[in-house]
Amino acid sequence: MTAPLLQVTDLKTHFHTARGVMKAVDGVSFSLAAGEVLGLVGESGSGKSITGFSIIGLIDHPGRIESGSSIKLEGRELVGLRANELRAIRGKAISMVFQDPMMTLNPVLSIFTQIKLALEAHGKVSSAEARQRAIAALKQVRIPDAETKVDFYPHQFSGGMRQRVAIAIALLHKPKLIIADEPTTALDVSIQAEILAEMKELVAETGTALIWISHDLATVASIADHVAVMKTGRIVEAGQTLDVLLKPQHPYTRALLDSLPSRAEPGTMLARGSSDGAADPVPPPRRAGADQNRMPKHGVPYFVVDGVSKHFSKSTGLLHGLAEKAGLTSPVPVVQAVDNISLTLARGDALGLVGESGSGKSTLGRIAAGIYPPTSGIVRLEGERVISSGRSPKKITTRIQTIFQDPFASLDPRMRVGDSISEGPLAHGLVGRAQAGEYVRQWLAAVGLDPAFAGRYPHQFSGGQRQRVAIARALAMQPDVVVCDEPVASLDVSIQAQIINLLIRLRKELELTLIFISHDLSVVRHLCDRVAIMYRGRIVEAGQTAEIYENPRDDYTRRLLAAVPVLPQAMPADAAVL
Amino acid sequence: MVSFIFQRFFQAGLVVIAMSALVFCGVYAVGNPIDVMISPDATQEIRAQVIARYGLDLPLWEQYLQFANRLIHGDFGMSFVYGMPVGTLILSRLPATLELTLFAVILASAVGIPLGVYAGYRPQSLASRVIMTASILGFSVPTFWFGLMLIMLFAVQCGCMPAGGRGHTATLFGIEWSFLTGDGLKHLLLPGINLALFKLSMMIRLARAGTREVMVSDTVKFARAAGISEGTILRRHVLKLISIPLVTVFGLEFGSTLAFAVVTETIFSWPGLGKLIIDSITSLDRPVMVAYLMLVALLFIVINLVVDLVYVLLDPRLRKGRA
Repeated sequence: MTAPLLQVTDLKTHFHTARGVMKAVDGVSFSLAAGEVLGLVGESGSGKSITGFSIIGLIDHPGRIESGSSIKLEGRELVGLRANELRAIRGKAISMVFQDPMMTLNPVLSIFTQIKLALEAHGKVSSAEARQRAIAALKQVRIPDAETKVDFYPHQFSGGMRQRVAIAIALLHKPKLIIADEPTTALDVSIQAEILAEMKELVAETGTALIWISHDLATVASIADHVAVMKTGRIVEAGQTLDVLLKPQHPYTRALLDSLPSRAEPGTMLARGSSDGAADPVPPPRRAGADQNRMPKHGVPYFVVDGVSKHFSKSTGLLHGLAEKAGLTSPVPVVQAVDNISLTLARGDALGLVGESGSGKSTLGRIAAGIYPPTSGIVRLEGERVISSGRSPKKITTRIQTIFQDPFASLDPRMRVGDSISEGPLAHGLVGRAQAGEYVRQWLAAVGLDPAFAGRYPHQFSGGQRQRVAIARALAMQPDVVVCDEPVASLDVSIQAQIINLLIRLRKELELTLIFISHDLSVVRHLCDRVAIMYRGRIVEAGQTAEIYENPRDDYTRRLLAAVPVLPQAMPADAAVL
Repeated sequence: MVSFIFQRFFQAGLVVIAMSALVFCGVYAVGNPIDVMISPDATQEIRAQVIARYGLDLPLWEQYLQFANRLIHGDFGMSFVYGMPVGTLILSRLPATLELTLFAVILASAVGIPLGVYAGYRPQSLASRVIMTASILGFSVPTFWFGLMLIMLFAVQCGCMPAGGRGHTATLFGIEWSFLTGDGLKHLLLPGINLALFKLSMMIRLARAGTREVMVSDTVKFARAAGISEGTILRRHVLKLISIPLVTVFGLEFGSTLAFAVVTETIFSWPGLGKLIIDSITSLDRPVMVAYLMLVALLFIVINLVVDLVYVLLDPRLRKGRA
């Protein structure tokens, strides 16, 4: 057997900071043959990205590859090379694709200029030749009309197109190895599916080896021959993709797989991955005297969204208005975000709103929660308006609350979380000032946090803990309906499992009605008994979750479901062996 | 794009009208120029004659309308003190200030931006620390003191530099310029450095902050991963990404320096606009003050318009639709 293309032995990348040494990568070894695809899987902080950066020689101060580490590309040692020699390898023999195509391309340079710079990095090219090669490179990644698109700027492309451009730049010099760091995480599922398929073809076409770094086991399973599972700087398990996913040996791999909602029976509690091992949170305190007027009203549907539409239009200046009247300019186009949608929910329902970015699902969620006034239509809770009528509509109920995607953005960074939680209830007289402290502690306990955390600031929490604080803050308003806008989208799978479990439990105990907005079809399937699929501001299909997932009737739903990468399931024969 | 420029000109027109009214009324409220203009022992008739000649007996709004009418015809009136048309007077002084200001602002950018980019690129290095400390000094040392020190060191002690004046000038487009002769350049250097000091520090700080931010971005990481050399990354990627705040400050500083280079011009007895306006304020030379303030307002409007257009040039994202 010939020498492997890439041989990583005992790679240690440590960060020497004033507070001590952080061992981001701590003794990683693996090898990769030419044309092979390796999936590097792990949760945030596992060191998977740092491993990628170490290989391509982009570790910045205070990080350092420790002595004793070895990275050999075709037998040539890369550790200890001078900056210049490393630069000559980067982009030529090894190249890299990053997570967010919005951030990687330079917004102020045209695609052609950026490709030209990458070409000039490894040899002289004439402008005409660069142009030709740029067009060819764009064609290779299936960008239509490459001759004109080459002069575009990044903002003129969609997210998927930008990622294709980034891949085209990575492929320019026909590298032997491409490192892809979460290249599809920021994209919609259908675009992710396209990029995955194209990446597979390109790898096969060019014979390039690929290291695919991801937190998502399902995407890795669909592209990689081998996987390596990383945890706290080490590879805990490695092997053939199917072997690792179907017969995981290491408890961490097993825990990671078990915390995926796609592998569990819908509605059940998920196994809680690699969490701290603390018991699930204790039940929440009883509502204090909030129940007296909550007797169900007969004959009135519980929560109704009735014929709601929302347009967004740019405000135009006086001059533009005049010019428009005179026929000099065309009117500014109106964005129809939500187009005549009606929904009815019974008490205790959980409705999933699913769609890709730009489908209007978040706008609809905000209208339902009373944050945006609809352009037309009405939202009622037990027959009462959620938003007042009149010229400047306001939300007039506290019975609907929202949990946002990014708890870091939705919590005030300069306010203790205890004060953030008690602010609303105090303002609405749900709790007296004297009892506020105790009230906050009860809610923190209810979402499984240490009640003593009330005095901390948001930055002192991990992502999952912060999202729990955000949930506690929403629930402390004692709502009947909770709108969750992608509450688990930015979280690791094991933390995602914790939050999903919490929502399942709280829904049962508090008889909450949930509107759960997500792009993740497996999470929705797990948590919601009804689902509505949105596309371009309309609901294309709605019904019982199980029914729609089994027999999608609409074309778009079918495409959406087909695009979701699925984990290979164990064959019955395998099960018998086990 | 065209509608954007059109809109800006419309706005500029409104600003000029508002400014002219404000300036005229503001200056009207300051003192009585007659007391300065004629000797105290002049007879009552002479006094009345002078008042009538300058239209000072009319009500304020009529005076303003007359003024506005003359303004439209390009007539800024006669200076009370110099006895010559204000337009000619200001034009005779403007090139000196323009030259000094441009020299200072370009010097500040040409030196400050590279230093700042370097300080942002290697924030830990000794040179960067020296640059940053020096820039704090540049902020905090008063201009007049620094100017006096320059004169003392280079003109008095070592005698290699002139202490003031414009030196020999050469004529280009019918205007006298100092930078065209060796002697003139020598005269330009010290006041130019003095005027540039504050702007230099500002450019360094801005360029450094921008560079530090951009250097850790994915854009730069991706460029490095493509094997592009550090020099090319700094020149082609970083410089363009940090240019918008730099252009903003360049424009603002250019305007304010042009208008208020008074301290430096006084210290180096540079015959520019700053000296003219100070003189006209002390002698209550109303037409000069009004014309000068109008000129300053106009300058800021033009500079801001140019800055906005440069934004569009620099950032393709602003090219579509309304800015």
